[in-house]
Amino acid sequence: MSFEMDEEILQDFLIEAAEILEQLSEQLVQLENDPENKDLLNAIFRGFHTVKGGAGFLAVSALVDTCHGAENVFDTLRNGQRTVTSDLMDVILQALDTINAQFAQLQAREEPEAADSELLETLHKLSQPESEDDTADAAAADDDADVRRASGATNDAENTVDDIQEDEFEALLDELHGKGQGPGASKTANKKEAPNTHTDNDEITDDEFEALLDELHGSGKAPTSAEKQQEEQKSASKSDSDEITDDEFEALLDDLHGKGKAPKVNKAAEKPAQQPAAAKKPEPQKAAPKQPEPKKAEPSKEQAKQPAKKPAAPPPPPPETTVRVDTKRLDEIMNMVGELVLVRNRLLSLSNSDDQKHEEMSKAIANLDVVTGDLQGSVMKTRMQPIKKVFGRFPRVVRDLARSLKKEINLEMHGEETDLDKNLVEALADPLVHLVRNSVDHGIEMPDERQAKGKPREGMVTLSASQEGDHIMLSIKDDGAGMDAEKLKQIAIKRGVLDEDAAARMSNEDAYNLIFAAGFSTKEQVSDISGRGVGMDVVKTKISQLNGSIKIESELGKGTELLIKVPLTLAILPTLMVEVKDQTFALPLAVVSEIIDLDMAKTNTVDGQLTLIVRKRAIPLFFLEHWLTRRPERNKRNENGHVVVVQIGNQQVGFVVDALIGQEEVVIKPLDKLLQGTPGMAGATITSDGGIALIIDVPSMLKYYAKR
Amino acid sequence: MATENRKTKQQAEVDSNDEVLQWVTFQLEEETYGINVMQVQEVLRYSEIAPVPGAPDYVLGIINLRGNVVTVIDTRLRFGLPENEITDNTRIVIIESDKQVIGILVDSVAEVVYLKKSEIDSAPNVGTEESARFIQGVSNRDGELLILVDLDKMLTDEEWDEISRLG
Repeated sequence: MSFEMDEEILQDFLIEAAEILEQLSEQLVQLENDPENKDLLNAIFRGFHTVKGGAGFLAVSALVDTCHGAENVFDTLRNGQRTVTSDLMDVILQALDTINAQFAQLQAREEPEAADSELLETLHKLSQPESEDDTADAAAADDDADVRRASGATNDAENTVDDIQEDEFEALLDELHGKGQGPGASKTANKKEAPNTHTDNDEITDDEFEALLDELHGSGKAPTSAEKQQEEQKSASKSDSDEITDDEFEALLDDLHGKGKAPKVNKAAEKPAQQPAAAKKPEPQKAAPKQPEPKKAEPSKEQAKQPAKKPAAPPPPPPETTVRVDTKRLDEIMNMVGELVLVRNRLLSLSNSDDQKHEEMSKAIANLDVVTGDLQGSVMKTRMQPIKKVFGRFPRVVRDLARSLKKEINLEMHGEETDLDKNLVEALADPLVHLVRNSVDHGIEMPDERQAKGKPREGMVTLSASQEGDHIMLSIKDDGAGMDAEKLKQIAIKRGVLDEDAAARMSNEDAYNLIFAAGFSTKEQVSDISGRGVGMDVVKTKISQLNGSIKIESELGKGTELLIKVPLTLAILPTLMVEVKDQTFALPLAVVSEIIDLDMAKTNTVDGQLTLIVRKRAIPLFFLEHWLTRRPERNKRNENGHVVVVQIGNQQVGFVVDALIGQEEVVIKPLDKLLQGTPGMAGATITSDGGIALIIDVPSMLKYYAKR
Repeated sequence: MATENRKTKQQAEVDSNDEVLQWVTFQLEEETYGINVMQVQEVLRYSEIAPVPGAPDYVLGIINLRGNVVTVIDTRLRFGLPENEITDNTRIVIIESDKQVIGILVDSVAEVVYLKKSEIDSAPNVGTEESARFIQGVSNRDGELLILVDLDKMLTDEEWDEISRLG
């Protein structure tokens, strides 16, 4: 197979399938806790099915095989022919991993590797209900093999698949009724002319085909063929409502069979041939009148969700209300809105200076102010994504970890619907995974140990997110052993990070923060899960890059809670504008803790470093003019300046600036490639008077200048 | 006969390659330089350039170009010339080099000239060592020498490396 396939189709598939796979991992773990949930089983079945369909259309046979295996298992499950067990889930999750791996290969435009044959075999075994007779199964399997071979042979897999089925279908028709092949043949022709509508034709035909199969072999085997049909429907990216209708339709046919099916078959086969453009219509119409009948027969079939969905099915599917937009385009819009905000700021400051003279003007500007604010808000919202995107992966992470560590852990999640900026969602994923793994690995004790302490065997990890003003609070809480401040101090002393005296003076909270130091690990034994001591400092760095902060609260024996605070968005930054030697700089407000007047009487030089006493604490003091001007005069000091005290982790530092301008929300403009990576500079922004202000990256500035 | 043949051949080649190029000329110190007009985005009057602490020497700073932040390079330093005062004629030429927009500070901008390719000679060893490497040719117009600058070489690979090392 080559990748001559339409790149656009491939892209669509990749996007769609990525979403489904993400959902699947979540749903699978959910299923383990709720194995009887038919809706869930159906949803998972459909998920695998859709991916398989798309993969089949693109002729990615390796992916098709794996999905097909998993899908079969779920078909058996949803038909109640097998129950969900942990072992089964292990296999399914393994299959999902394989699919994910294959999917990743496809994303990299590589030919995906075929799945482990052992896995496929296991899947196949699991998909066999006890009641099923072997010959029928074998026949069905053969059928599938044919289809798959066909899809491998040609890029235009769909048509081939259809043809085969149609041949079969026609053969069956012949067999049953001795009728001519007219309808079938014209349908094929139709399909080739109007690729957009042909799947609709197929739907009907397939359903009938299935009904025929049912008639011939009994309903036990129907699922396999049903999958195939759905595969085709999906490959044309159909909406869910169609599937449901299909299922129902199938059920109808199943239930009705024996009752004058032959005439219906003919009618249906002809209809699409006559009106391919309106092909969609016949289906709901036909489904609607027949509803009353299957409802009686429902309990026998798998459509647990039918009652709920049924009323929705007959009316034509509602038009799509969402549009996929490239994030790049959104970024562009965001950028332009940023411009607008800046222009507005400028106008605002102009109108302020120009008292009553232009009353009309200032009215208009006030209006502009409101509209711009709204526009900015709406555009921001388009970039928002629920944190669920990140949280969704945790059930799986926790489950796998708990199983491998032989711990019993219950994961609770709150506030999954909390929205935050897309970039933030992505940036938070890794740190959060790390912290959750830590909680599971280090926090929660072994079940026996917990029991001995009088706690429930099952540990609890709680993940929650909530919005607080313009910030998002994330919390990862466990009811495990908690952190031992003394032990942390001992380790720090042993590693030479800390001396005895400092340790003795250190508060518990400061001691907890020791885990953020590079190379610090409390675990004596390093596991593959955590304990290498490289993680926490990375987490910390990542979070501060997002202008966020992280805090630890812990009680020995009761548990630990990690609190992460991040801004809602990365695009707009609240800053404190300051002036240093006639140049404007913006300090991110998140790090500024207070502003005081400089009083040289309160300064001391300790070990060559100028320090300022702030509420009995000595903090290092730096003159920004020494760092941020071209030819600094190191000996000269502006002793009438203001001190901006910033908080970096637990460390407070004072910066002397010449003047304070005020607080301003700014849009961050990245620096040119030429200047990217300039130490201490996070970017630039346009000030309300049209000038330029550099945004200071405080940690990076300290790192670069303070050591000199 | 054979040599004549070769000559006409060469002549023909030159003719077919002899496209007319447009050059924006600017003044630095006493010399006139030209940049391909296709690389010039616009010419701005001098506006306040915000210096960027910690940036390399040859970066003067950044300016606000209708909401975009553009880096301005000190062309004089680049060309190994002494500093000069900002005058009314001082211009910032916004150019696109290697898909990146940068500004160069020049003493003044004069005009757009049309040059046939055949009018461009390879560079003699003009100017200083510093500037020689990004000069792609010279052209003699009315007894005045026009130095044609290859903007893509304004910054060398080593300098790019140097910049990335700073981070």
